[in-house]
Amino acid sequence: MPRFILKRLLHGVAVLWVVATLTFALLRVLPGGPFDRDRRLPPEVMANIAAKYHLDEPLLAQYARYLKGLAAGDLGPSYKYIDRTVIDIVIDTLPASAYLGLVALALALAFSLPLGVTAAAWHDRWVDRACTLFATLGISLPNFILGALLIWVFSLKLGWLQARWGMPGSALLPAMTLGAMPCAQLTYLLRSSLLETLGADFIRTARAKGVRESIVLFKHALRNSLIPVLTLLGPVFAILISGSFVVEYVFAIPGMGRFFITAVTDRDYPLVMGVTLVYTAILVCANLTVDLLYSAVDPRMRTRG
Amino acid sequence: MPLVACGRSPRGGDGSTFRVNLSTEPPTLDWSLATDHVSFNVIANLMVGLTEFDKNLKPAPVIAKSWDVLDDGKRLVFHLREDVAWSDGKKVVAGDFEYAWKRLLNPKTASEYSYTLFDVENAEEYNTGKITDESQVGVTAVDDTTLEIRLKHPTSYFLSLTTFEVTYPQRRDVIEKFGSRWTDPENIVTNGPFLLSSWKHDNEIRLKANPNFFLGKPAIDNVEMTMINEPTTALALYEQGQLDFLDNHSIPILEKPRLAKSAGFKNVPQLRGEYYGFSVLKKPFDDPRVRRAFAMAIDRSLIPKLLRGGEEPTSSWIPPGMLAHNSRIGLSYNPPEARRLLREAGYPDGKGFPPVTLAYNTLEDKKLVAEAVQGMWKRNLGILVRLENLEWKVFLQRLVNNPPAIFRSGWGADYPDPDNFIKLFASYSPQNYSRWKNSHYDQLLAQAARELNEQKRSRLYDDAQKILCEVDVPIVPLFNTAESTLLNPRYSGLDYNSMGRLVLRHVRPSNVSGDK
Repeated sequence: MPRFILKRLLHGVAVLWVVATLTFALLRVLPGGPFDRDRRLPPEVMANIAAKYHLDEPLLAQYARYLKGLAAGDLGPSYKYIDRTVIDIVIDTLPASAYLGLVALALALAFSLPLGVTAAAWHDRWVDRACTLFATLGISLPNFILGALLIWVFSLKLGWLQARWGMPGSALLPAMTLGAMPCAQLTYLLRSSLLETLGADFIRTARAKGVRESIVLFKHALRNSLIPVLTLLGPVFAILISGSFVVEYVFAIPGMGRFFITAVTDRDYPLVMGVTLVYTAILVCANLTVDLLYSAVDPRMRTRG
Repeated sequence: MPLVACGRSPRGGDGSTFRVNLSTEPPTLDWSLATDHVSFNVIANLMVGLTEFDKNLKPAPVIAKSWDVLDDGKRLVFHLREDVAWSDGKKVVAGDFEYAWKRLLNPKTASEYSYTLFDVENAEEYNTGKITDESQVGVTAVDDTTLEIRLKHPTSYFLSLTTFEVTYPQRRDVIEKFGSRWTDPENIVTNGPFLLSSWKHDNEIRLKANPNFFLGKPAIDNVEMTMINEPTTALALYEQGQLDFLDNHSIPILEKPRLAKSAGFKNVPQLRGEYYGFSVLKKPFDDPRVRRAFAMAIDRSLIPKLLRGGEEPTSSWIPPGMLAHNSRIGLSYNPPEARRLLREAGYPDGKGFPPVTLAYNTLEDKKLVAEAVQGMWKRNLGILVRLENLEWKVFLQRLVNNPPAIFRSGWGADYPDPDNFIKLFASYSPQNYSRWKNSHYDQLLAQAARELNEQKRSRLYDDAQKILCEVDVPIVPLFNTAESTLLNPRYSGLDYNSMGRLVLRHVRPSNVSGDK
């Protein structure tokens, strides 16, 4: 097992390097630069800025400088937020995104597990159709519509929950908005996975032996149906805790998600690369955790250390 | 997104904390490095400088109690008040200005606004590395209360520049001690009406009244500045009584007609102009007759009805309120004359006119105007112009590398002087995307910049504007913008000025006497 983890971690470092290289290259081919402004700067002023951020060096030298910084844990300065480094920004904003993501994930799991099981257990009945309709709504309703709708109903009309981040209960509406899509996906996946398992030979054998239906469902079928759910959970976890542009924008949350878009429109190269790498690192760790959980759920998948 | 419950009016506000929405995180609170209105809106409440502009947009004394213009305008001597203190109790002295100006010009600071001081003797040379000895730069603190500025040549607009935040004083000891962290709340030292008490990045900034502010402690004790990007959310919070002031960035365009009827709503005209430019080096806009025809085929009066934000159509370039504004200059709407000019240029009824594109950056209001103008040109000239919207940075790069036949652009004043507007289209200006060059125009600008008599200066600008907007027409001014603002009626005295600055020092609860 330790060898497996070590191998996966080394693999993760290689993934980070590839992502860093690709992001570096893609940003440089994107038209427009970080200091292209409405007020175009005189060339001599631009030269001072380029020198300050080493943008006057050849691309390869800039790349080497970036990798060197990265190896030392330095993601560089933000070009837009002049007094802050990318690390400062990540430290300031990731906790809000992670907190929101965890609440959203908890909500998604709390709803999707019972819904998926209920839909599969009462397959093709009205309960199943109701659960499926709920899941379809969760998938098809865009975040910005759902978020606006929730603010309108719960904050403006009923006055139950605050729309402003930091006030009591303020995480609930954005977490519901953020968690709706994964909740729907997990419900669908669990339902179809459970239906497939419930049709398997070993379930038929268990039923033939007279095992109680609840035990068949929860002990035998559910456990075997969790593998695809776990597979999805890795990327879903990474996406949720690294922040969502739309949800953070609509609910004014000081999270990291907004930088996935704004840093690109600002051409803030170090910030784009920083948030991309943080997201990649979270994804690598989440996938590794999922791989380790596989073996806990399914003994056949245990990897020899 | 129809988020907002209709007919609500804001409640809340305990009178001692005034809550405004900044929309976004200020990129910096270092006034040598700031370039955007959000940063300046915070800085303008933390700091004051030599002068500020008054209601007539003229520089009025603040830290400078008076000044002398000597040597035919080549030397300025500012006499400073002695009762101005930094927030740590030390006195503001002329040396703090000398340090700040030289820091702005230091190439290592890499300030984007360093060029604003290039009229100062040896400033440009120091900034571009031609000289390294900062003592040669023409800024000297003669003693604690006397600041001497030596200019390369008489510069009529130079006093206006001293209203600009980038010229505010700074403390060498603080900056050298804390480096890039000097603007953190626990380190920053300021001299203005409010003090920075906390800064939660991407969330909120809190200010508290400066009890020792030399012009008197503000009436409100605290200011809370939120960073809510989404206008519908900000408006919802305002209507719930959780915010007291919204500027244009926090008010959804579609809500403006409804809000215009509510107390506290105001459209504040801005020193900001929008124009369409022509790429004059390429056919067919290398012919001034074609440019004039396109200008005369635009009915600007329709634009305010489209944008609904209090815009003022204009045919001249220097905005109202500024010295040398002249609404009689420019080409007004005249379709028959436009068609005649087009015919004369060899395109009767638009026949034979090559395909041309109008490019704008992707924003709803830019699109609305572009579509309306496209319709006017089709109707009045028989020419269907293709529209192209581009992402902001891509658009900017196109303007520099390969300007489209017609493009939109705009300009907001850095300081309230016509020079800041008219210089945009000088042959040497990096902002001159149309690539138009007219030596007579350049000459008039240079003459006006050196002319200290306002009447003579205005006449020079009139002549320059006539070349720009009537004869050569590399650009067509369209309108001057206004910014919509919403102020909780429980407060008064808020000064949202024509430069888009939010000045809070006179804000007070409405029931307190002495409202300004």
